[in-house]
Amino acid sequence: MAETADAPSAVPPASAPDDVLRVEHMAKRFGPVTALRDVNLHLRKGEVLGLLGDNGAGKSTLIKIISGFQRQDSGQMFLRGKPYEPKSVDDARAKGVDTVYQDLALIDELSVFHNLFLRRERVLRPLPLLNNREMKREARRALDEIGIHIPRIDVAVARLSGGQRQAIAVARTVNSAADILLLDEPLAAMGAKEGAQILDLVARLKAEGRVSIIMILHNYVQVFQACDRVSMIQDGAIALDKPTSETSVEELTEIVVNEYRRARQAAAQPPA
Amino acid sequence: MASVAQDPAARDPGGSRGSAQGRRALPGWRELGARLLALREGSIIVIALVTAIYFSVNTSTFLTGDNFKTLLPYFAPFAILAAGEVFVMILGEIDLSIAGLYLFAPILFYKMNTSVGMSLVPAVIVALLVCMVVGAINGVFVSVVGVNSFVATLGMLFTLEGLSLIISKGTPVATPGGQPPLGTFGKVFGGGTYSELIWAVAIVVILQVVLTFSRWGLYTVAIGSNKLGAAEAGVRVNVVMIRNYMLCSLTAGLVGVFEAVRSATVQPNPAGPNEILFLAVAAAVIGGTLLTGGSGTVVGALIGALFLGVLKDGLILQGVQANYLLFYTGLAVIVAMTANVFVGRARRGTITRG
Repeated sequence: MAETADAPSAVPPASAPDDVLRVEHMAKRFGPVTALRDVNLHLRKGEVLGLLGDNGAGKSTLIKIISGFQRQDSGQMFLRGKPYEPKSVDDARAKGVDTVYQDLALIDELSVFHNLFLRRERVLRPLPLLNNREMKREARRALDEIGIHIPRIDVAVARLSGGQRQAIAVARTVNSAADILLLDEPLAAMGAKEGAQILDLVARLKAEGRVSIIMILHNYVQVFQACDRVSMIQDGAIALDKPTSETSVEELTEIVVNEYRRARQAAAQPPA
Repeated sequence: MASVAQDPAARDPGGSRGSAQGRRALPGWRELGARLLALREGSIIVIALVTAIYFSVNTSTFLTGDNFKTLLPYFAPFAILAAGEVFVMILGEIDLSIAGLYLFAPILFYKMNTSVGMSLVPAVIVALLVCMVVGAINGVFVSVVGVNSFVATLGMLFTLEGLSLIISKGTPVATPGGQPPLGTFGKVFGGGTYSELIWAVAIVVILQVVLTFSRWGLYTVAIGSNKLGAAEAGVRVNVVMIRNYMLCSLTAGLVGVFEAVRSATVQPNPAGPNEILFLAVAAAVIGGTLLTGGSGTVVGALIGALFLGVLKDGLILQGVQANYLLFYTGLAVIVAMTANVFVGRARRGTITRG
């Protein structure tokens, strides 16, 4: 890479014929802080896209906008070619976009199966009462199907290990009818063995070919192991977008090092 | 049925399902004790029982039908108030304005009946609807505006009590429908001997079912346990919070009307309601509902209220001087809460071993 101390050049909008999701010129500010400046991103059917970037680069903000939890200030999204403006998390989910948040959004006090079915509860029609038996059965089946072993699904998730909690959070989205999954740091706070299990799960989902996945990761080795393509976000814009087969740990590292240099230079210069 | 249904593991601390089922045929005392303590309400059940047994042994009058009737007003109103308050406390919030509604609802009922000329039932309905609007305002301030619930509902408490004094001009009034001889209205709405008990049991059962077996209850626990997580999962946090505040206000207004009918007068004096507020919150907390949210039980609140009622009644029967009553109640609350903490610790201990 010949780039030196210049500001990172943003990747222009790109697309492929089999895109399921496109994000164009996305911008979002929180008061004086610009989280997203001009983000262009696309996700092809059945692929696993790794989203990289420094802390505070805007990865989680982007995920939260796509998942319908926050609204962008400007920019458009397209889902399977049609304009996509999720009004809420429920709305996005109804359109097939589901998310595992960085903070997992698990409810400690509720049981594993209640967590799996939160906002998708089965009820005993016509009574508005929870059909716990049915939810337990379906939860057990769903967990078996994706190969996650949780000894007991009627215990509160507070009692599970970090890896099991992550698995439950992932299972919750897999269990939904969604075909676009957003995973915000699914391997954070996990041991190597547990992390491998989650990556296995991602690989199995990919092999099925039904879902397309955007995954925020920090570990480059895991990126090259799990992702088809990588987009790196810097200063609120995508600075690199390449298939993992055309890039390397070295290239990704160099971008980060350059950014670090720029930041140091900026810090050394007196403010204008 | 407790909200522990969400955590059934607590019920069989002794290992696998199968063996627990086998033992269920012949539950030993130890097993029974373990099961009882594993319930969230377990400790307060034990404490209430011990208190009742103590007074039964030490007084000749405690275990009589007449005394049971005396006991009823000492706990039934608190059980209803606490049942509503539990729904707010599980959210991790508090509603202090229930004392204001307790005073405001009967005065509004009186005004609707006498000044506006409505008949009894419509007047009660209007008064209770106004209570629910007040609850909605509380809920909006806490959830949408983001005012701390203690402060927001404290402001509402003073506002309502002030409004009650203004409307009533500070003078006691005779409760419509509460004058002897009592009609059907009076007997149903608090005047009948068992009226409040029946209401209390019905409300507690319904609200416990709602809490344990409905989406509403599930979302209430979810918000109290992890508000952001619940929102991210798609739970409409503001809607649930406003709804719970409305429920809490409704139960408070209802109890206000019951007590006004039972005592035949509305006393526009905030001192009584304020004490009732604290006893209701105490009943909920003693019953096993966390002030920090995420966990609670309506049945526990009923038993907490029963404990406070038994204590007051028993102390009076023992001939404790009126001046000592509050003092002993205070000590008993501290003892009960301390026991709760220890039992809770033991309960979590059995869970982690299980």
